[in-house]
Amino acid sequence: MIDFEEELKKFQPSLEVEDAEEAINGYQNTMDMVEMMLKLGDRTKTKEEQE
Amino acid sequence: MVCYKCGCRLSDHDYCTGCGEDVTLYKKIMYMSNHFYNDGLDKATVRDLSGALVSLRQSLKYNKNNIEARNLLGLVYFEMGEVVSALKEWVISQNLRPKKNIANDYVDMIRSNQSRLDAINQTIKKYNQALGYCYQDSQDLAVIQLKKVLSYSPKYIRAHQLLALLYINGEEWEKAKKELQKCCQIDANNTTTLRYLREVDRMLVPEEGGRSTGKRKSRSQEMVRYQSGNETIIQPINGKDRSGVSVLLNLGIGIVIGIAIASFLILPARIRGASEEVNDRLKVVSEQSDAKTATIDEQQQKIQSLTDENHRLSDELATYEGTDGALKATDGLMLAVGAYLENPEDLEKVAGYMEALDQESGEGQDNRTTAYTDLEAKFLAVVSERLGAYYYDIGFRSFNAEEYENAIPALMWAYRYNNTNVDALFYLGNAYRQSGDNDKAKEVYAQVIDNFPNTNRANRSEAYLAEINNESQAQ
Repeated sequence: MIDFEEELKKFQPSLEVEDAEEAINGYQNTMDMVEMMLKLGDRTKTKEEQE
Repeated sequence: MVCYKCGCRLSDHDYCTGCGEDVTLYKKIMYMSNHFYNDGLDKATVRDLSGALVSLRQSLKYNKNNIEARNLLGLVYFEMGEVVSALKEWVISQNLRPKKNIANDYVDMIRSNQSRLDAINQTIKKYNQALGYCYQDSQDLAVIQLKKVLSYSPKYIRAHQLLALLYINGEEWEKAKKELQKCCQIDANNTTTLRYLREVDRMLVPEEGGRSTGKRKSRSQEMVRYQSGNETIIQPINGKDRSGVSVLLNLGIGIVIGIAIASFLILPARIRGASEEVNDRLKVVSEQSDAKTATIDEQQQKIQSLTDENHRLSDELATYEGTDGALKATDGLMLAVGAYLENPEDLEKVAGYMEALDQESGEGQDNRTTAYTDLEAKFLAVVSERLGAYYYDIGFRSFNAEEYENAIPALMWAYRYNNTNVDALFYLGNAYRQSGDNDKAKEVYAQVIDNFPNTNRANRSEAYLAEINNESQAQ
C-alpha cells in the first residue's frame, strides 16, 4: 500500500534556471577519485621526504 | 589515456614511459569511469534512463572530467524533462573542453531560443508550485498545475509521477495508470514508476480474496455473487429500485455539485492562474519599459553630447572659414604674400590684396589663429615700410592735385603702415580740412600734436586747429 505522505516527501523541488549558476560553481568543489588519488600521492611523498 | 603528471600517452605498462610515474591506480580509476560510462550508454540505449543516470553519475565520481559521460548525463536529464540539470552538465562540459564539444551545440540549441528557455523556466516554476500545493493539501490545484506543466513539457518524468501519485491518492486508478504508462514510455525501468504501477494494477484487478479499496468493498456489498455452473453471476441488490424521480434527483444534485466545484475550486484556480499570467506579463512589460527608458536616456545623452560636439566643431570651423572670414583672411594674406614673393616691386598688387583682406576680415580679427597673426606680423615687418611709402606717394600726389577723396584713404594707409610718418598724418588732417570735414581734421591735428610734440608739423597743426576753432566761433 502506498503512503501518500511518505511518497510526497521523496519529491524535491526542481532546479530553477536562476539556481543553475550556483550548481555549476558547486562543481568546482566536488572531488573525484583521480583528485583524491593525486592528493593522497602528494601527502605520501611529503611524509616520505619528512621521514 | 595520458599521464596526469607529464601528459605523455600511456602504454600497456603500469608506469608512464615518459616520466616513470606509477599509473596503476590511475589507470584502474579511468577504466572504472569508462566502464560505468559504457554501462550508462547501454542503459540509455534501451531507455532505462534511471539506470543510465546512476551509472553515469558513478562514472563522474571516478573521473569528473569524463566529457562523454557528462554530455550523456545531460542528454539523459534532458530526455527526462530535467532541462536545468541537463544545462548544468553541458555548461560544465563546455568549461572542461571549450572546443570540439557536442555540448556547445546542445547549449546553443537551448539558449538560441529565448521563448523556449522562458517556457522551460515557467514549467519548472509551475512544477515547484504544484509540489507546494501538494504540501498544502490543495491537491486539486496541484493537479491543474501539473497538467499545465505536462502540456509544456510532456517528458517531465517527475511531473508525471507526482500527478500519478495524486490520482492514486484520489483513487483515480485509470488516470494514474495512464500517467505511469507515459512514464514507462520515457523511462522504461524507473523504480518509482514501477512501484506505483504495481499498486495501480493491484487495485484495478483485485485478486481473489485479496485486499481491495473501500470503494470496491462498498460496491461488492451492493451486489450479490453466486455460481451458476461454471459462470459467476453478479446481481445488484437494489438495481430495480431506481425510479425516474430518483434519477432526476441525482442528476440535479450532480449539477449543483458540479457548479459548486466550478465555483469553489476551478474558478479561483483559473482566476489565480490568469492573475499570475497578467502579473508575469506586466513584469515583462515593465522590464522592457525600463530597458527602453534607459536606452532613451542614453540616446538623449548621446544626442546632447553630439550637439555640443557639433557646436564646438562649428565654432572651431568658424575660426577657419565662413562668417568670421578668417579662412578668407588667411587666403587673402597668402595671396598677398604670394604676390610679394613673386614680384616684390609690384606693390600695387600687394596693396590691393591687403586692402581686400582688410575689408573681408575686419570684423573677425578676434578669431584669427596664432598662425595667421604670426604670418601677418612677419609679412608686415618686411613690407610695411615700403607699402607706407607707396601709399604716401599716392596720397601726397592726390593732395597736391586737390583730389582729396583719393588722398584721404591713401594717407590713412600710409600712416597705418608707418606710424612714424608725421607728414602722412599732417597731410591727412589737411586733406580733411580742405574737403570741409573740420571735425575729422581736428581729430587728426590733435593726433599730430600728441604723437609728435615739439615738431614743426605739431606747431603748424596747432595753428590750423586754432584757425578752425576761430572759424567755427565766428560762424
